[in-house]
Amino acid sequence: MSFGKGNKRVVWRIAQREVARMLSQPVYLFCMVVAPLVGYVFFTTLMGKGLPVDIPVGVVDEDNTAITRQVLRNLDAFQQTAIVEQYANFGEAREALQQGKIYAFYYIPQGTTEKALSSKQPKVSFYTNAAYLIPASLEYRDMKMMAELASGAIARETLYAKGFTDDQVMGVLQPIKMEMHAIGNPGLNYSIYLSNILLPAMLMLLIFQVTIYSIHSEVKEGTSKRWMELAEGNIHKALMGKLLPQLLVWIVMGSTYLVLLYAFWDFPLRSGLWPMALAALLLILVSQAFGVFLCELLPSLRWALSIATLWGVLSFPISGFSFPQIAFPAPLRALSYLFPLRHYYLIYVDQALNGLPMYYSYLNYAALVAFLILPFLLPNRLKKCLLEYQYTK
Amino acid sequence: MKWLHHILEIFREELHNSLFDEGVIVFFFIVPLLYPLLYAYLYGNESVREVATVAVDLANSSTSRDFLRKVDATADVEIVGHCADMQEAVNLIHKRQAYCLIYIPADFDQALMEGRQAIVELYSDMGSLLYFKAVLSSCTEVSLAMNKDIKAQRLVGATEKQVSTFAYPIEYEYVPMFNTQNGFASFLIPAVLVLLIQQTMVLGIGMMAGEEREKKRRGILEPHVIGKRPVEMLLGKGSAYLAIYVVVSAYVFCVVPRLFHLVQIGHWTDLVAFLFPYLLACVFFSMTISGIAHNREVFIIMFVFASVPLLFISGISWPSCAVPPFWKAVSWFFPSTFGINGFVKISSMGALLRDVRPELVGLWIQVVVYGITAWLVYYRSYGRHLKDIIEVAEEKLQARWAEYM
Repeated sequence: MSFGKGNKRVVWRIAQREVARMLSQPVYLFCMVVAPLVGYVFFTTLMGKGLPVDIPVGVVDEDNTAITRQVLRNLDAFQQTAIVEQYANFGEAREALQQGKIYAFYYIPQGTTEKALSSKQPKVSFYTNAAYLIPASLEYRDMKMMAELASGAIARETLYAKGFTDDQVMGVLQPIKMEMHAIGNPGLNYSIYLSNILLPAMLMLLIFQVTIYSIHSEVKEGTSKRWMELAEGNIHKALMGKLLPQLLVWIVMGSTYLVLLYAFWDFPLRSGLWPMALAALLLILVSQAFGVFLCELLPSLRWALSIATLWGVLSFPISGFSFPQIAFPAPLRALSYLFPLRHYYLIYVDQALNGLPMYYSYLNYAALVAFLILPFLLPNRLKKCLLEYQYTK
Repeated sequence: MKWLHHILEIFREELHNSLFDEGVIVFFFIVPLLYPLLYAYLYGNESVREVATVAVDLANSSTSRDFLRKVDATADVEIVGHCADMQEAVNLIHKRQAYCLIYIPADFDQALMEGRQAIVELYSDMGSLLYFKAVLSSCTEVSLAMNKDIKAQRLVGATEKQVSTFAYPIEYEYVPMFNTQNGFASFLIPAVLVLLIQQTMVLGIGMMAGEEREKKRRGILEPHVIGKRPVEMLLGKGSAYLAIYVVVSAYVFCVVPRLFHLVQIGHWTDLVAFLFPYLLACVFFSMTISGIAHNREVFIIMFVFASVPLLFISGISWPSCAVPPFWKAVSWFFPSTFGINGFVKISSMGALLRDVRPELVGLWIQVVVYGITAWLVYYRSYGRHLKDIIEVAEEKLQARWAEYM
């Protein structure tokens, strides 16, 4: 397919027609601009700084001494934790947990202080509601640290009294210590972890749908024959003219999320902007290609939309950004590579988070490029549909 | 009893329409049938086990080797390689042959002998938080056990109890409740199941309404709605959807959790008493929304798009205490918010009906409000219907008149 001046004119004409269509139907404004922006604003305002603060927890302090009160005050002072209620007994606290009023509670049985001071090793407990995984794991962290600190404080006093230095005290109390380095996300920021994939994934979903809608709605409205006439019967020119103006809008929306993630929030971008910008551009192109492919495969607007929906929604979990792909059953592990979002996610981990040379991600870039072949598989099927299909439903 | 007859007629017709329209079948039956299976299969392992980890053991002593051996033996971590230096180990991570790294410095034993703290450094790829969790918890667990032994060796002659009391004057115990293994499936799938009901219902009902409207636009009138009152249409159609979703829910909420051994400790009467208003609220909500949306496809696009944000504002993954007030207010418009929270509380946490009163009240309010708005939708379109009938009749009359002239 050579691209002479005449071809350019044809594509230009169709592109102009497409712009007019996009401006005349509010659908496009809504799905291409409003929806992505609302999505961006949603996740920006929802996760804010990346960690929920002041998660409500309860305490059952049966001991109620100056020391236990001090321990609880310290717990309350942690950023993620807010003690909202004192319960008289275990049963009340459990009930509040079940009602969702608190996400965790601390239980200090009677006699704890006395036993601790007389070296009888009392036991305190903390309970988290693991049905809510994120607050439960944050509370686990805070409450465990509090328990360690309280315990350590008493042990330290004993050792200082015996003339140990700071260094020695830690060597005695905790001979082997773990030091954790979370590469690229030291604060365990949930927004880094989630938004980096959620935003592009939402955009991908919208591109699937809008692409399909813009092609098949021509059949529905009975304008597809006119469209093909303008393209001089060439399906490639027809599609190119139609998808180019949309591509421009998508590129603007894609750039918006890149700016939001890497400039406004300043999320890790260790290999610089271009590797991620390329990944975002490829994801946009692949999503359009996939939409076209579905149109070729399914000559009905609502079938193509339905399948795109199912595929798009499935992309979220199967990309492995929340629950890791290595924990999937083997068949799904293999299947995950058929989802462009999986490759985008892997590029993001390598490039943005770990800052590797692009060489390491070449297979994933190549896979995304390979998806671009999809629309060239069955073009004549779509052409036939556009020229002959009568919309009945 | 004419009204009952009318309702039954619409009920039958709507049931028939739902069962014989492929597009609707996809959302009413295929998706609720397959998606839960797929999700449960996907998250079936609950957590990530045997995370591939490399070790750089510069100390290479019996203690350090012992440490690594014990870490390797835990369920969550598998040591897939020992590297001579960090560079080599980091390369393995870059090639995705490993996700975590355990680094034991050369002075590990010396520190232990001198009574200083011996540091073990852990590195984790943050592509997933679960890698981080796996390596940290496994190593901490092993180090706690080894610390105990080391202290026992140092305090020669002390009893085990004395050693333990010395290290931990206050002992502590951690109890994760309701999802004892902190599993991913047990946490996410109940919410997904509840959301799935609302989303498929909205999409399916929206599709049917869109179709009906398009037929009307082309002048095709459905005979079974002629002469029916809006309230009869509301109840007739609503009960048809409800009937379908009672069957679907039985599968989604009873069969699926059993198939995949999800936590389900709620009492079934509580569950039924809660899910009934949820389904009803979803039916009226869907009918309302379908009346507002004028273009079937745009409607699908927008609602599918909303699925992920809806899961997030429900408070199941991102805690509701951290959801900003504006989004919280938005979330109250959707039955899924109350549905997810109440269902998780009853089913996963064993709450009683009285423990979920706020959610239950929320759902019943939605039933009433959306019931009224859905009625308004039919009131409006019913009026239009009448007008259409009259117009068609007039046209025919005029045509005939013209023939005579």
